[in-house]
Amino acid sequence: MEFPNHHRQIVEDLMSGKFILPQERAFEVLRENEDFYINFFKASFNYDLKVNQDFVYLVSDESNETLSRDICIFIALLSYELDRDGKNFLERIQFSEFEMEEIESYFTNSSYIDLILSNKQLKDVDSRKNFINTLNRRNIIEKTADNRFVFTSAHKFFMDFATDIVKFENAEKE
Amino acid sequence: MKAEPKTILRFLLEYFDIVADLFETQSKEGIITYEVLNQITGKHGSDIKTQLLDYKILGAVNDNFEIRTVYYNLIEFVLSEFKPMLPETIEKYHVSIAELFRKIKENLNGDRVILNQRLAELSNEIRSFYEMVEKNTISLLNETRELKANVKKIDYREKIIRASRWIDEYIIPLNKILDINHVSSIANKLYDISEYSNKYRLNFDDENTRVQFEKLYFQLIQVNDNLLRQSKILTKELLPLIERIRTESTILSGWITFLKNPYKQKVPKIFEAKRTNIYSKNTFFNAAEFFEQFKNDSDVFFEEESNDTEKWIFDREHYTEKLKSNLPVANFFKWCNATLKDEYKKVEIEKFFALTSLAFDENLQLEYPAKAEYEKIKINDLTLTVPKITINNHGIS
Repeated sequence: MEFPNHHRQIVEDLMSGKFILPQERAFEVLRENEDFYINFFKASFNYDLKVNQDFVYLVSDESNETLSRDICIFIALLSYELDRDGKNFLERIQFSEFEMEEIESYFTNSSYIDLILSNKQLKDVDSRKNFINTLNRRNIIEKTADNRFVFTSAHKFFMDFATDIVKFENAEKE
Repeated sequence: MKAEPKTILRFLLEYFDIVADLFETQSKEGIITYEVLNQITGKHGSDIKTQLLDYKILGAVNDNFEIRTVYYNLIEFVLSEFKPMLPETIEKYHVSIAELFRKIKENLNGDRVILNQRLAELSNEIRSFYEMVEKNTISLLNETRELKANVKKIDYREKIIRASRWIDEYIIPLNKILDINHVSSIANKLYDISEYSNKYRLNFDDENTRVQFEKLYFQLIQVNDNLLRQSKILTKELLPLIERIRTESTILSGWITFLKNPYKQKVPKIFEAKRTNIYSKNTFFNAAEFFEQFKNDSDVFFEEESNDTEKWIFDREHYTEKLKSNLPVANFFKWCNATLKDEYKKVEIEKFFALTSLAFDENLQLEYPAKAEYEKIKINDLTLTVPKITINNHGIS
């Protein structure tokens, strides 16, 4: 049986929890063979493959809830602090590079300091460094140097979640 | 009007701060109460209520006041502080312009004086329409930029509501009015009028009317260009800006709700990475089994065996010679076993393996059967399955 190009890389990346991004070759292969891969992951592992124009990712019944929650807290805090600082947070997250020093400044001076200190992955400089590496492994950010990074299009996955919170609240009110 | 025009204009110039304050009050409240009028004039230390009424800048409405429309529009214009108007207000021009145009077409060969009057009024209506569109675009841009900077510190939910309202109630309907491709839009109607006036500016028997058509035609070229520019501002600048405010406010509002109770909210599912090579469902039991073997509570003592016998050293030369003298050997491993039995009676496994190492002698020519054959050799309690190896020669024959 013949498999599409980069098949092994695609399976390995998705199974290690990575988001596959438009700038990767694998993304194009996935888009071209979308039906095949949806069936492949469903039949082989009972996983759902989600494909959209910004990223491709896998969903299973078992979710890494802790990591997901910590990522949400991280992006929520960063968005809040950027906005408080008078920045266009969405534009900055979409288009700008961040230095770890800037992140440290926002987190150490945040009014959500209690929440930060109580979170294992975000509580101090070292934890946050490790956390950034985890985000890098998952393709949510891309490290441009040891202490600098940019967000990838996968950040939209979490921004959509924030939008859904408001939609859900509004629907409940109605 | 009692006063000279210049006197009124000088009055406006001198007391412009008071008039501007009154304008702001009316813009916000819709009316100026007697108390507020006193307060504003008192603040500036001038009692000018009588002049305001005499010059018909203010008009009385029951016990309150309002700035008369002509002055209100003037101050609004000089301050560039327009309030966004609902497109319904602008839409009224569609009716008046369409109606005048219809009558012009129907009575083209009728009374020339009325025709020219209609052309002049059509021109006025088009001018008013354009000014209103321009005012609305400016005011929407100002309001949007103010919302973006959030000078008034309004909360995110209110921002979402305002941004949504402007998009749905003002910008999109206004854009429809300006959409030349939309059959029922005013811009489309103006295009028809432009075509029509272009035809009659060159081809009409009365010169005065030709001049009127010509004026209308050139006015419409200008207006159409300007409307196109306004439309571009709406779609390329204003709409994306206000859409972004709405999106940003929605996301931030969502995050703030999330941060209120981050551990009680459902979070999006992200994939639990699998390392199937190392980890399996049985790992726990395998690990438990592994550690259980060390759970022996009783003490174990080891007694070192005293070794009185002399340590055996493999004499390679001796055994090579022996092998050479026994050549050809039909089964090498059997020969090893038999040789050791001859010398020591009891064959020890390490001696057996030492002796089998002779097989690696490069000078020995080993031969194997075409089809692999195996035999069993018993060494004490151990049974070894060994291949059949024949040795016929030693050295290069």
